[in-house]
Amino acid sequence: MRGKCFAAWIFLALGACAQGLFSPAEARISLEKCTLCHGKPEFRKILVDGQIRDLFATGDSLKGSVHEKKTCVDCHFDVSEIPHRQRPKRVVCTHCHYKGNAEGAPQSDAYLEYFGSVHGTAIAKGNTKAPLCQDCHGDHTIRKAKDLASAVSHVNVAETCGRCHIEIYAQYKTSIHGVALSKGIMDAPSCTGCHGEHKIYGHLNPKSSVYATHVAEQCSTCHASVTIMSKFGIETEQVATYKNSFHGVASGFGSRTVANCASCHGIHDIRPPEDPLSMVNAKNVPATCGKCHPGANPNFAVGKMHVDSHKKESGIIYYTAQFFKYLTIGTMLALIAHIFLDMYGRTRRLRGEK
Amino acid sequence: MNEKKDPKQEALEGEIEAAIAGETADLDPSEAEKIREKVRARVLEEVEREKRIRTAAERREEARRRREEKRREKHHEEGEMFERFNRNFRFQHIVMFTSVILLVITGMPIKFPNFVLSRYLVALWGGFNNSTIVHRFGAGMLIYFMVHHLFYTVLSRRGRRDFVLLIPTPKDARDAVQNVRHFMGKNAEKPRFGRFSYIEKFDYWAVYWGCVIMIGSGLFLWFEGIVLKYFPKYVLDVAHEMHSDEAMLATLAIVIWHFYNVHFNPDRFPGTLMWWHGQISEHEMKEEHPLEYEEIMAKRSKQESAEVPNR
Repeated sequence: MRGKCFAAWIFLALGACAQGLFSPAEARISLEKCTLCHGKPEFRKILVDGQIRDLFATGDSLKGSVHEKKTCVDCHFDVSEIPHRQRPKRVVCTHCHYKGNAEGAPQSDAYLEYFGSVHGTAIAKGNTKAPLCQDCHGDHTIRKAKDLASAVSHVNVAETCGRCHIEIYAQYKTSIHGVALSKGIMDAPSCTGCHGEHKIYGHLNPKSSVYATHVAEQCSTCHASVTIMSKFGIETEQVATYKNSFHGVASGFGSRTVANCASCHGIHDIRPPEDPLSMVNAKNVPATCGKCHPGANPNFAVGKMHVDSHKKESGIIYYTAQFFKYLTIGTMLALIAHIFLDMYGRTRRLRGEK
Repeated sequence: MNEKKDPKQEALEGEIEAAIAGETADLDPSEAEKIREKVRARVLEEVEREKRIRTAAERREEARRRREEKRREKHHEEGEMFERFNRNFRFQHIVMFTSVILLVITGMPIKFPNFVLSRYLVALWGGFNNSTIVHRFGAGMLIYFMVHHLFYTVLSRRGRRDFVLLIPTPKDARDAVQNVRHFMGKNAEKPRFGRFSYIEKFDYWAVYWGCVIMIGSGLFLWFEGIVLKYFPKYVLDVAHEMHSDEAMLATLAIVIWHFYNVHFNPDRFPGTLMWWHGQISEHEMKEEHPLEYEEIMAKRSKQESAEVPNR
């Protein structure tokens, strides 16, 4: 009997060692304790505002997530009594997720960017609707962003954002970018492609990547790249022609009133020009231009919008540019030659030559 | 000149006589006579001057005459000063170059947004929006200059005469060829220019061409809404291209050609003030515009010979 008991102790001790130093036996016990209540599927709470809060969680809840090896109290560390005397607080991710942590979490300062973002500042101001880490990354089912099943993966993040930003999600979903992504074209941007991941700012904040004067730069990260655009047969010169146009130059000098890419092509509802719903469809151009140029008429749509005077296809504009180019070169050559001849003559006369 | 004395002058001389007689009663008669002569001369001179500077225009003329005398004492080698540009013309030039400077420093940053100075030139006005307002102000000044000059050309006698003299003639082509030969040492003679040399004629017509293109295309861009009511968009694109390219040509012509002719040319360095006072010296006149000088001299001697029989 005594021998059997001893063997059991050794077995238990070995098991504890196999689990690792930071997963002692008592933690496993605590998981069992938690699931006494939380393991019941009907375990839920009705909140004061009438919402039902599902409190169901089992040992399998973390399965497949990055926190697979963690236990309840690793995150819910303020829980010490059963039943809880106080309502357990929301999990604070920064307990482990900071640069220099010893818990094995990624060494990243991403959370600092979050605190300055529009969501972080809203939280700081006491807006309870603003999202915390777990609202986007998920609670028990957190996966790496690269993992396509993750709530913040390239294919799922729009839906995640759309849980709050419903109207924008609807616009995006039917836009060229949304459609392309749903077809599995991974080059198409999702929300985070333009707005950034943790450092999301309001579009009126000059720090924002979608601030009026930053929009062109943001779009050009993909639209100026021949390797990306050639896959879809889209020209990349639009970026350069915009930057050389009056709109582009004024925007570059910090004017927020001139048109940027989004002013004409739409923000979340960008569609190809052939689409009759597109803002840049020839039929809709008068209305689009009319936002800034009152009384715009179909004449606005006659002729190419993104003109490059260096290209022969631009027709009369190209020939005008060529005419002035040779006029300038010819005139300046003649004038400079005259100046140098004058100086040559003066030098000669100064030397006393005839 | 007029031998017969007028009653006013007689009364004046009587007064002088009375005053001197009172003061010099106890002096030697010969001494008194000397003083009397001196005082008479002084008073008459004063009176003469007073008469001369009676009106404002006369006063200005007097001041100019005195300056001219001073200048002649200092730089007697320059000789007489002639008025090359009248006040109206100088005013037009000042309006034009002010507007062009404004237009260039507010316009060039739009053509070259990545140039180092562009950022500062835009910031100078407190942002791009203000910069465009200054550009339109400069445009207004240039349009005013153009209208003013057209009226000047049509309505003023000087304007009409200058315009006719500015029309290119076959002589200008010959002058240009001869001038180049002169520079090269093939022909020692410098061409003899009239009031306007072929260089000045080129400058004038270059400004004409520039103003027409810049104001025309600029107005298209300024009132793009109205333009697009009647023209398709590519017309505006052409106007934009013209505005941008002609701006470059005009700026280069001013900075290289005009600056050389009026600033960096060794004869003029660091610059001539002719745009301010409009005067040209006899020396320079003989050098640069001998035909005009001869014309003026011929006219003058004709006038003088015409005056002689009247005397």
